[in-house]
Amino acid sequence: MTSPTTAADPGVVMIEARAVEKWYPNGFHALRGVDLTVHQGEVVVIMGPSGSGKSTFLRTFNALEDFQKGSIVVDGIELSDDVRRIDAIRREVGMVFQQFNLFPHLSVLDNLTLAPTLVRHRSKAEVQRQALELLARVGIHEQAHKFPGQLSGGQQQRVAIARSLCMEPRLLLFDEPTSALDPEMVQEVLMVMQELAKEGMTMVVVTHEVRFARQVADRVVLMADGEVVEIAPPERFFTAPQHPRSRQFLNQIS
Amino acid sequence: MNRPRALTNRLHRELFATPLDGLITVALLIGLVFALKALLHWSLTQADWVVIQANSTLLAVGRYPLNQQWRLWLLTALLCGAAGISWGLLRGAGWPRSDRLAAAVLLVLSLLLPVGLGLAAPVQQRWWGLTALLLVGRWAAGRWGGDIPKRGRRLLPLTWPLLYLLGLGLIGGGLGLMTVRPSQWGGLLLTLTEASFAISVCCPLGIALALGRRSELPLLRWGSTLYIEFIRGAPLITLLFLGQNILGFLLPGGLAPDRVWRAAWILTFFAAAYVAEAVRAGLAALPRGQWEAARSLGLNMLQTLQHVVLPQALRVALPAIVGQFITLLQDTTLLSLIGLLDLLGVARAVMANPEFLGRNAEVYLVLAILFWCCCAALGLGSRSLERRLNRQHLRSQP
Repeated sequence: MTSPTTAADPGVVMIEARAVEKWYPNGFHALRGVDLTVHQGEVVVIMGPSGSGKSTFLRTFNALEDFQKGSIVVDGIELSDDVRRIDAIRREVGMVFQQFNLFPHLSVLDNLTLAPTLVRHRSKAEVQRQALELLARVGIHEQAHKFPGQLSGGQQQRVAIARSLCMEPRLLLFDEPTSALDPEMVQEVLMVMQELAKEGMTMVVVTHEVRFARQVADRVVLMADGEVVEIAPPERFFTAPQHPRSRQFLNQIS
Repeated sequence: MNRPRALTNRLHRELFATPLDGLITVALLIGLVFALKALLHWSLTQADWVVIQANSTLLAVGRYPLNQQWRLWLLTALLCGAAGISWGLLRGAGWPRSDRLAAAVLLVLSLLLPVGLGLAAPVQQRWWGLTALLLVGRWAAGRWGGDIPKRGRRLLPLTWPLLYLLGLGLIGGGLGLMTVRPSQWGGLLLTLTEASFAISVCCPLGIALALGRRSELPLLRWGSTLYIEFIRGAPLITLLFLGQNILGFLLPGGLAPDRVWRAAWILTFFAAAYVAEAVRAGLAALPRGQWEAARSLGLNMLQTLQHVVLPQALRVALPAIVGQFITLLQDTTLLSLIGLLDLLGVARAVMANPEFLGRNAEVYLVLAILFWCCCAALGLGSRSLERRLNRQHLRSQP
């Protein structure tokens, strides 16, 4: 099948975030000068205690959250208030949410085909063919004509991943994709994500799944109190964390 | 289990489960029997239905010119045909029990009612013709509707707005037809024209207001909020009087719409504020994640509204919106207070006629039944639409 990812070129920078600062309207300083560079084909896992700003940071990459200082360049496009630029970035960046956020009034198949037909103006028949292939790939081919409410949480999240892939994104963001799932369904979603990583998809994943981070991540980012505390390859991060906050965090989750 | 046994069991369970339940049931039954007996006694012996027979045309269309009334019959025929065909297209070839029941009720009503009311023979035959048209449309569309290609099927709902515009043309005249000014429309004709106009225009207006109230643009938000709160804070009757008086002053002579249309617009603006609140509740019920998912897939604002937000919000708001339609239909009776001859206005004129003095009960009863029929139709339509949407939501195969 046609893979949505092109051959990964680690020389190409997909995300370049520099000194990003964000205040919420109530004055809370959520991001305090965060830097991060993500290269094409890389899998970056962001971890950290709740309230550390990791989800907020992830959501700035496709402008679901705004920020007040610093700069973010995604796939060569600098984020600004310009709606056309934001839409251009969103076309190339897929996002998978904690709560799946499937459209409950549309069938699984229509969930997948809605955006490609509306945004990319592709023919319905062609998109449907691709959507069925993607559903087969995430293992829910037979459910194409069901509605999201008839699926289990794990199935819904796999549909949500397939929905993102149907737009053929150059980058995928995952915002705690397994946190709302029953334990027995976590693995089926992580397997799909691992497959994607193998095929060279660029991914930024906010998660608490240590095993996934160890096996799949190229780099692990630890955030605490709105700052990046440590960036390291997983084997070093989990065996010999450099920063006291990292050691504290790893003690808490193990 | 045999059926009579099941029925006795059910009656016992629902009506006589405890001694107190039984007592309440018996008391209510006695009351019901007495009321029905009194009503029957009154309507068969004391009531004088000549007042309805003599004024049926007046109640139906007011002072609409007699020689132009074929236009209204034609319109009714078109509506009956379209209704039958829509019914058939929605249901397909089969006749489920509810459809058989509806058809039977229609047949009985069309056979008995015109005779019972003592309408003239040609009018009776027209009623039979209309019923036949409706049922034949249902049968034919159910039988052959499936053969219409998909592309054509999608255009079919457009028939109704087109028919509506055609209907307004037929009623009002122009384009070669003799003009019948709105001041000559009356009775049920005026009531239904005003209500249907207000119902169809207040919907888009209400949706726009609801979106405006949730907009990020402060002026739009304040404007919508101010409008909604002002309208909801004022009684309709004051707004109607205000409209009749002020619009005349505000707009130069020829520009102010006719009194009938002025009232229609006031009704529309009034209902729009309430529809807006219903839609706002529907929008509020929608999780933020739906917006975020749609936007992060690259859909723009309008596409998100059209394909993701409104289909879900309107479904939640549907019962409240239809409730507003029913209120609106009943509120048209206020038009009689500003001097328009709607159903109630015509009825009051009839009762003021010395010839029919003291025949108020008969007239009001017929009025109540007419309104009840219209409202019941609206309610039935909305409930079947709700069921349809719910089924669609849960169906497992396309």
